[in-house]
Amino acid sequence: MSKGIETSKLNIGYGFDLVKDICLEAKPGQILTLIGPNGCGKSTLLKTLTGELKKRGGVVYIDGTDKDEIKHAEVAKRLSMVMTYKVKPELMTCLEVVEVGRYPYTGHLGILSEHDKEVVKEVMEWTDVSDIADAYFTNISDGQRQRVMLARAICQEPEILILDEPTSFLDIKHKLDILDRIKKLAHEKNMAVVMSLHELEIAMRISDFVVAMGDGEVCRMGTPSEVFEESFIRELYGIQGKDIDLLGSRPWADVQLGTGPNCTKHPTIMIQGTMSNAGKSAIAAGLCRIFAEDGFKVAPFKSQNMALNSFVTEEGLEMGRAQVMQAECAGTKPLACMNPILLKPTSDMGSQVIVNGEVLGNMKAMDYFKRKTEFIPEIKKAYEKLAENYDIIVVEGAGSPVELNLKKDDIVNMGLAQMIDAPVLLVGDIDRGGIFPQLLGTLDLFEEKERSLVKGLIVNKFRGDARLFEDGVKILEERGGTKVVGVVPYMNVKLDDEDSLSERFYVNQTKEFDVAVIRLNHISNFTDFDTFEQIDKVSVRYVKDPNELGNPDIIILPGSKNTLEDLRAIKENGLADLVKTKVLRDNTPIFGICGGYQMLGRRIEDPEGVESGGLEEGLGLLPVDTVLGAEKTRTNFSGEIAGATGKFENLKGKPVEGYEIHMGTTTPYEDLTEFTFKRSGFCRGNVYGTYVHGFFDRKEILEAVTGATGIMDYKAFKETQYDLLAETLRENLDMDYIYKIMGIKR
Amino acid sequence: MMSKRRYLVFFILIVILMAVLTWVNVALGSADVSVKEILGILFGGSDEGLHANIIMNIRLPRTVSAILLGGALALSGYLMQTFFGNPIVGPFVLGISSGAKLTVALAMIFFLSKGREIGLYSMVGAAFVGAICAMGFVLLISLKVKRMSVLVVCGIMIGYICSAITDFVVTFADDSNIINLHNWSMGSLSGMNWDEIGIIAIIVAFCLVLSACMIKPMGAYRLGEAYAGSVGVNILLLRVMLIFASSLLAACVTAFAGPISFVGIAVPHLVRSFLKTDGPAVMIPGCFLGGAVVTLLCDAVARTVFAPTEVSISSVTALLLVPVVIYMMIKRNDRRESL
Repeated sequence: MSKGIETSKLNIGYGFDLVKDICLEAKPGQILTLIGPNGCGKSTLLKTLTGELKKRGGVVYIDGTDKDEIKHAEVAKRLSMVMTYKVKPELMTCLEVVEVGRYPYTGHLGILSEHDKEVVKEVMEWTDVSDIADAYFTNISDGQRQRVMLARAICQEPEILILDEPTSFLDIKHKLDILDRIKKLAHEKNMAVVMSLHELEIAMRISDFVVAMGDGEVCRMGTPSEVFEESFIRELYGIQGKDIDLLGSRPWADVQLGTGPNCTKHPTIMIQGTMSNAGKSAIAAGLCRIFAEDGFKVAPFKSQNMALNSFVTEEGLEMGRAQVMQAECAGTKPLACMNPILLKPTSDMGSQVIVNGEVLGNMKAMDYFKRKTEFIPEIKKAYEKLAENYDIIVVEGAGSPVELNLKKDDIVNMGLAQMIDAPVLLVGDIDRGGIFPQLLGTLDLFEEKERSLVKGLIVNKFRGDARLFEDGVKILEERGGTKVVGVVPYMNVKLDDEDSLSERFYVNQTKEFDVAVIRLNHISNFTDFDTFEQIDKVSVRYVKDPNELGNPDIIILPGSKNTLEDLRAIKENGLADLVKTKVLRDNTPIFGICGGYQMLGRRIEDPEGVESGGLEEGLGLLPVDTVLGAEKTRTNFSGEIAGATGKFENLKGKPVEGYEIHMGTTTPYEDLTEFTFKRSGFCRGNVYGTYVHGFFDRKEILEAVTGATGIMDYKAFKETQYDLLAETLRENLDMDYIYKIMGIKR
Repeated sequence: MMSKRRYLVFFILIVILMAVLTWVNVALGSADVSVKEILGILFGGSDEGLHANIIMNIRLPRTVSAILLGGALALSGYLMQTFFGNPIVGPFVLGISSGAKLTVALAMIFFLSKGREIGLYSMVGAAFVGAICAMGFVLLISLKVKRMSVLVVCGIMIGYICSAITDFVVTFADDSNIINLHNWSMGSLSGMNWDEIGIIAIIVAFCLVLSACMIKPMGAYRLGEAYAGSVGVNILLLRVMLIFASSLLAACVTAFAGPISFVGIAVPHLVRSFLKTDGPAVMIPGCFLGGAVVTLLCDAVARTVFAPTEVSISSVTALLLVPVVIYMMIKRNDRRESL
């Protein structure tokens, strides 16, 4: 029994060591494939194995014997090759070419014996080239030529066959032909085949063993499933983050629905909650920050978000705010692929569907539910994009994972977890009571394979001494059969996320400095005012009803998705008049941001029907007119306040940073003080209007408006909150366990 | 089998052709010798008289040397073509002949200046040294330049340099030597004697045996060095043998007849076209016989067309064979193959 071909610490190269210390082995009946980018040394290695090129060190063993100790003529009986050289012999028939393969077996004059002729005939039949035996080698097609050369190599009756890119220049039929024969040679004729291939999909399928070469070394070797890992292949060929759709099938083991053995795993953790507001977003955000602190490149991911507020990324794509906040925690740029599907409710019945940042259209809830599975490829694509570029992905689920009536075709919770084979941590909210039914009930309702993905439980929002819950932990672990990863205390962190949205709307307590934000029906970018929340003495109230207004220190008219309609609404319910009175009679300062700014003016025209069309009288507090237009302004803004009047005269010269997103232009019809630069805002008396979102984010502005001192820029403030969050989680979660279930050794 | 019949036909035809041309070469000449007389001289053993002298010591040696040298030239060309894997090379275009010519001229003048006639062995030796030097130079270039066309141009350049130096040498040589040297350097088969033919025969026979030994590896070598190596051919040995044999043959021709152009490149091509193969087993004898026939023909033309004035044989071979070479290059170009 032959031992095939083996190398030990083989160094190869032309004039210098291209690749060093190559140790590989191809046993009889095995196909060993070399892959790697052009110039990585595949052909050089093959030429060194055949002896065409002198090795630069190490040993090549043929059947266990050092090749150097075997006579040159003897090697020809054991090892044959088909390389990529263009051979153009003058007037040489295919038969003559194949007969060359018998060279090692013939006498001094090279005359073929009957046996030799028989072998040649048999091999030519097997390789299907008998019919072109008398044709000149230079006159046949590439596919035939490759078969003739293979026939010649087989005629040497070798134990080892060396092939350099045997499929290049061949169409699929001939490719299939050659590959089929190579496979048979290995598996039926028990040859050891060593070949190089550029077609990775083929290499993945045909090889028993794969050696990946690149950058002067053997990068990885093993079975195809061990080597063909997406991130590795991308790195090997330097195509990280490239869209490879042009290639058709993906040259690596695919991530598929369900967990097949070929499924490549990327370090991922998924946070699911027992209900909305269980604190998934915050826990996910905190984990993002912890992993980032530990030196990993982290990305948040939520397959589908339902939210009124979207964030616009640098590429101009829309995504949910929770993942923006989590991305900030992770210290990375928010990308639309972190939130591939965004649903923005437009009515009680339907939503605008945004897929990978681009608006797909409006859909009724039923339709969306029916068509949900269509989005799976988009979700996969987004996830894969992240997997290519990040070390760890923190996935957030949505709502409860056991909404049994909606579970079919789930793509947000367990459906997604199975798709990407992610370990799941289930979060329960103890503050709202019923932690046992929450966690144990949810576990109970999982199907077996879903439950097997749950690797831990988290008790969230615990008030008081966690030691008091030790028994509870025991019970959960016993009855749930899953580890409790931590009991997280109720945290007073201020995060910019959707979950806090609902709570925020019901604040009605006033403090030393009271901010009243008019809660429009289509309020947008309400995060503009989150910055106030960091100041203890400031209260921010969202006012919907006239009798809620009270006596605020400032009133803010926020942005709106439907300015005309919202304007009409507040005029109808009397809020508009009340605000006007406050401003005109009590001199209460009012800030209008974006849509709110437009409302402050004399009138808003919509000649092109961008919103609902027509013309609407504004509050008339600023002598400006607005004409809505289809053209969307979307710019970042950075500058100083050009001028200010009234109570907040001191704002002049303060820095402003933010962004503008609006459709339409607003122009004053009287002489007005320019408030923010480039005519993006004007003011008169205590009425201030601007298009700049994030107007209050800078501490200078915030200090000047509220009179508070020692406060931070909103950005810096957020960072402190993220750090606090991470610190708390680190204290209360078993991070070693979490790393372990993600498959990360630390 | 079609190919075997074709080979048989070729060899029968070429032997007949050779016999005819041999007869023509022996029979033709300024002295009018009858057929009967010639037969008598050749087979009757009557070696007395002027006519017998003309036939036995002038015409017959010349004819035999045409056969041997022509064959040698064509074989040398075929070996070189095998070596370079390209049919557009030959001893003349690669400058091998000119290299040999230069060293022979230098040797002749060296010996003449010492007041001695150059010996036959010295002449062959000098030619071989020149041939090997020129070949070495071409090989050096071929290491750097892989393109055959560039190599051929370089060979022609080397040829010109060698010819130029030869011209210088001739210019500064003693007057008495010039005529002798000039005649020789144009290429001529006249004035061969049996001693010379003896040496030629030994060298040519040796090279034929050597070539026969190379038939097997040369067959595999047609697939290129790498594949030949992979079936067990000792590449280095084969290459050395090819260079040695082809240079020795070219040197031998140059030493005795001066440079004879284009036989080495055109004849293998013609033979190949007839045989429709490039296999060494038939090409080696085929080329040898083909070279002999072509050279016999050319010499006959050189001697008789402008009789009694004799044209240099190189002029005749060039005139007859260059069109063949050009035709071959055009045909190859049609096939979109590089030179």
